[in-house]
Amino acid sequence: MIPIIGLAAGVLLGLFLDPTVPLGLQPYLPIAVVAALDAVFGGLRARLDGIFDAKVFVISFVSNVVVAALIVFLGDQLGVGAQLSTAVVVVLGIRIFGNAAAIRRHVFRA
Amino acid sequence: MGASLLDDVLADTLDPAYEQAATARAAAGAPLPSRRRGRTMVALTMAVAGLLAAVTYSQAAASAQGREQVRSALIEDIQRDSGVTDELAVQLDTLQSDVARTRDELLAASAVGQGALDDLARAEQGAAAVPVKGPGLLVTLANADPSADADPVGGGTTEEDPRGRVRDGDLQLVVNALWAAGAEAVSINGQRLGPTTAIRFAGEAVLVDFRPVTNPYEVSAIGNPDTLWTNFLASPEVRSLAVISESFGLRFDFARKDELHLPAASIPELRFARPVGAEAPTPTPDPTPGG
Repeated sequence: MIPIIGLAAGVLLGLFLDPTVPLGLQPYLPIAVVAALDAVFGGLRARLDGIFDAKVFVISFVSNVVVAALIVFLGDQLGVGAQLSTAVVVVLGIRIFGNAAAIRRHVFRA
Repeated sequence: MGASLLDDVLADTLDPAYEQAATARAAAGAPLPSRRRGRTMVALTMAVAGLLAAVTYSQAAASAQGREQVRSALIEDIQRDSGVTDELAVQLDTLQSDVARTRDELLAASAVGQGALDDLARAEQGAAAVPVKGPGLLVTLANADPSADADPVGGGTTEEDPRGRVRDGDLQLVVNALWAAGAEAVSINGQRLGPTTAIRFAGEAVLVDFRPVTNPYEVSAIGNPDTLWTNFLASPEVRSLAVISESFGLRFDFARKDELHLPAASIPELRFARPVGAEAPTPTPDPTPGG
């Protein structure tokens, strides 16, 4: 329950404060969101599997976001930014789908 | 483990760290880490995730809105500027008629001026610089009807037969035949033909005076309708054009008209040619001293 409240608080905070993001960081926001989504779905599945661990969740979240942004940043520097963001989105998207399917099996037993 | 990278990606959707942490905890005798701190950390992380998502969403929405604003601003600019162009064209028209009227008034005062005015009127008529009206002949040329000869079932060729299209040569032929038949003024689809007007083909379009005209092509010629009619029909080019249009399905009609209105042609600017006997306006040659 508390994590969901936290999520809602974050969303409301973001919508109402509407903080300005530095121009240089803007291209990495969507990738960071996808990475965060992957960590959140992973955590939810681990919780349903009964092996959730707060430390692992926090670390995986932070490292996911940072590494995803870093990969895209590196790609931008090398001139393959668009391709690398596609790669990151594909890999994370597959993981999100897999975790979502596992969560579905837990919730609906199907 | 999976045989390939793809298998790996598809099989291991859960971070293996959770498994490892769980087994480590089980091995160490399950000393649950302080639950409260863990919960706050998780809640904070979730808040960060929500913040990230919300900020990204508002950024995307703002940029879409910005694009829309730029687009509508550009459209506004275009509309305003074309309005300005229209206004200027109207202004040019009124100014030109002002100039013509003032000139006519001034010149009409004296006998010499009257003569000059008559000369000017003749020259303007000859140069197709004034709109004219009168009886004449209206010749219509049109592309072949695509459905007339096309195979309705298995054709698949949406392209028109290029032989069924009116070409610049056909129009030139008709216009030349009309001039030869005694036409005094000719226009194609409302584009008056002046002394230097060209009829050309550019890609798919026929250009008259470098402005495109489209199918069907209506050639209006002012002149004595009876002589125009007989001379036009008697010309061998017109007869062969009639045969050609018959065989390729082009439409080729002509009719006598009691009243045709032809607009003025655009006057070409003469840059090098100048009337014989007139002083060279520019560039002024060095005046010979004592000459």
